[in-house]
Amino acid sequence: MPNNRHIQPGVHYLQGSQACVEGAIIAGCRVYGGYPITPASEVMEHAALRIPQIGGRFIQMEDEIASACILLGASWGGAKAMTATSSPGFSLMQETISYGIMSETPLVIVDVQRPGPGQGYITTSQEDVMQARWGHHGEGSIIALAPASVQEMFEFTIEAFNLSEKWRTPVLLMAEETVAHMRERLIVPPLEEIRIVNRKKPQDLGIAPENYLPWGHDMVAPMANWGEGYNVNLIGLVHLEDGNVTKYDLQMHDACVKRFYHKIEDNVDTISQIETAHFEKCKHLVVCYGSVSRTAIEAVTEARKEHNLEIGYLRLKTLWPFPEKKLRSLIKKVDTIFVPEMNLGMMKHPITEALRDRCRKIISIPSLGSLHTPEYILSVIHEELK
Amino acid sequence: MKKHPMLKYLKEEGPMGDRLPMILCPGCGSGQVLNAAFHAIDKIIEEDGIAKENFVFITGVGCSARLTSHYLNFDSGWTIHGRTLPIATGALLANPELRIIVITGDGDTGAIGGNHFIHACRRNIDLTILCINNGLYGMTGGQVAPTTGIGLKTSTTPYGNTEESFDLSKMAETAGATYVARWTTAHPRQTVRAIMKGVRKKGTAFIEIMSQCPVHWKETPVDMLKALKKNSVRLKGDEAVPNGKIPIGEFCNIEKPEWIESYQKVIDQFN
Ligand SMILES: Cc1ncc(C[n+]2csc(CCOP(=O)(O)OP(=O)(O)O)c2C)c(N)n1
Ligand code: SF4
Ligand SMILES: [Mg+2]
Repeated sequence: MPNNRHIQPGVHYLQGSQACVEGAIIAGCRVYGGYPITPASEVMEHAALRIPQIGGRFIQMEDEIASACILLGASWGGAKAMTATSSPGFSLMQETISYGIMSETPLVIVDVQRPGPGQGYITTSQEDVMQARWGHHGEGSIIALAPASVQEMFEFTIEAFNLSEKWRTPVLLMAEETVAHMRERLIVPPLEEIRIVNRKKPQDLGIAPENYLPWGHDMVAPMANWGEGYNVNLIGLVHLEDGNVTKYDLQMHDACVKRFYHKIEDNVDTISQIETAHFEKCKHLVVCYGSVSRTAIEAVTEARKEHNLEIGYLRLKTLWPFPEKKLRSLIKKVDTIFVPEMNLGMMKHPITEALRDRCRKIISIPSLGSLHTPEYILSVIHEELK
Repeated sequence: MKKHPMLKYLKEEGPMGDRLPMILCPGCGSGQVLNAAFHAIDKIIEEDGIAKENFVFITGVGCSARLTSHYLNFDSGWTIHGRTLPIATGALLANPELRIIVITGDGDTGAIGGNHFIHACRRNIDLTILCINNGLYGMTGGQVAPTTGIGLKTSTTPYGNTEESFDLSKMAETAGATYVARWTTAHPRQTVRAIMKGVRKKGTAFIEIMSQCPVHWKETPVDMLKALKKNSVRLKGDEAVPNGKIPIGEFCNIEKPEWIESYQKVIDQFN
């Protein structure tokens, strides 16, 4: 890796974890705080190597609570910041994520999921997809992406930073051991073709410190960093748009929480991304996300070619906010929906909520601790449709 | 009426209305600590030419933490219970020009944030920590803290405290802080001087201020201040602490590599 610079445009052969850090650096990440845990440590080790090379600061903290807090402080200190952990560490970060939602702080957390509960195991998993959405205490929405390749570990990390800066909110990259440890080709485009989003600044909008509302002005408030003379009182209590907490009443409470809830939930269509294949006029459908989509697409191709099944494929590139309306506009009527997941049927719940009247049946294809083989997915499809 | 000279560092008013008075109970020691911090920073701004906008106050949760909330005419963070130090560390990693004053309580630092406390001191990162030690959890209703004396009754030790307590200053020194001092709210001038030294120290400075919570200890502020004055002693050398007394003074003032500076050498290899 060339020192003191971004990864060079061109073809590389990298591990998912490394691609993630390279993406973060291109996105502008200059602070990394972390705590080791299998299978996420490779992200941290690559960050330890690369972050100082581009003038950033890397620190190994005493636990995952502290690691998440590094991001909170760094973000208000004016840097883009990231950490990576795996499931037990992700649990420890929830209070900070919650504070990040309330205070509308851009930060990026990578969860390289491993099976649970407890110490579970150190293999692969998608068992934190619900924790991603509902793990933090209190209301408020979250943005979570699900990469399926080394290329996407790179691209989705950049996208995670862009989304966090654009919407001023914590963004989660819900990776799995599979995709973090996978080694494959990464194509880095010319740097000028990569879109980088930076937070809106009150200085650029001509807003003077005495008129500045850290949680106001617009649906996504401009953000003054500490040290810029804006006297920002960062706050985690329900607040008025200027951060005033003494004027508490139910109306203020309502307005405060709904502001950051709706800025995400009302923009699902802009934020969420879906990929489809063999989709037009399909009779059945496989809905998947993350690395499972790689064996799912094989199963679908095989079922169409060898068994003449009119079955389509839909992948959620974004898990949260959940694109219910988008799914309902895409899927008018199918017979059976299959949902292969490396858990016992977690995303099946919002999928069912969105599509229960658009199909005859929704079937979960669960797997704990390992990636589905195409044969396994096919066997469930055959069993159901025989 | 003449205004308090330090009022310039508070927001009497924000864009959406008034912010004072503070939420603290009358006679609480926390306000005295904030006053001391303002006096110290006022002098430092004047004498050292450090811009006011470089100062950031970071607190966790507790009565002591409420000193920031929305009152300060400084950048500030009223953050998460016990997590002041990693948040302050993150801010410094992003911008080492910041001068960070952490204001924390004995519970915030000694209990929920205990792990962060010792590790921040070990790293010797450039922070000034003001720990307001009132010997209990003020905000949540006067429960026992890791600093409560043995035998004392609190709302969660109705039969008397059966646990040994922490000496937070000793912990800071042992863990690696480079400036450590303890004063009380009955020692305002010494507290201001200690805070100035702490801010000027390149490294972790820990200043513990023994303070009164008249509400939960159910005593008058005046009696408590008198007791703080009477019960504090300045020890010489290895002199043993007399029974029931609180050692005060400067315990440690040494030079050691500071983390941001040490890490800068790593970064500089690549330029
Ligand atoms: C995670 C979490 N646990 C518990 C609390 C409740 N809580 C708020 S303040 C506090 C104790 C504060 O004690 P201390 O740090 O001594 O501050 P004081 O109020 O005495 O100044 C507790 C337990 C909380 N806010 N967050
Ligand atoms: S409860 Fe005690 S510590 Fe809290 S504000 Fe009142 S007097 Fe101060
Ligand atoms: Mg206390």
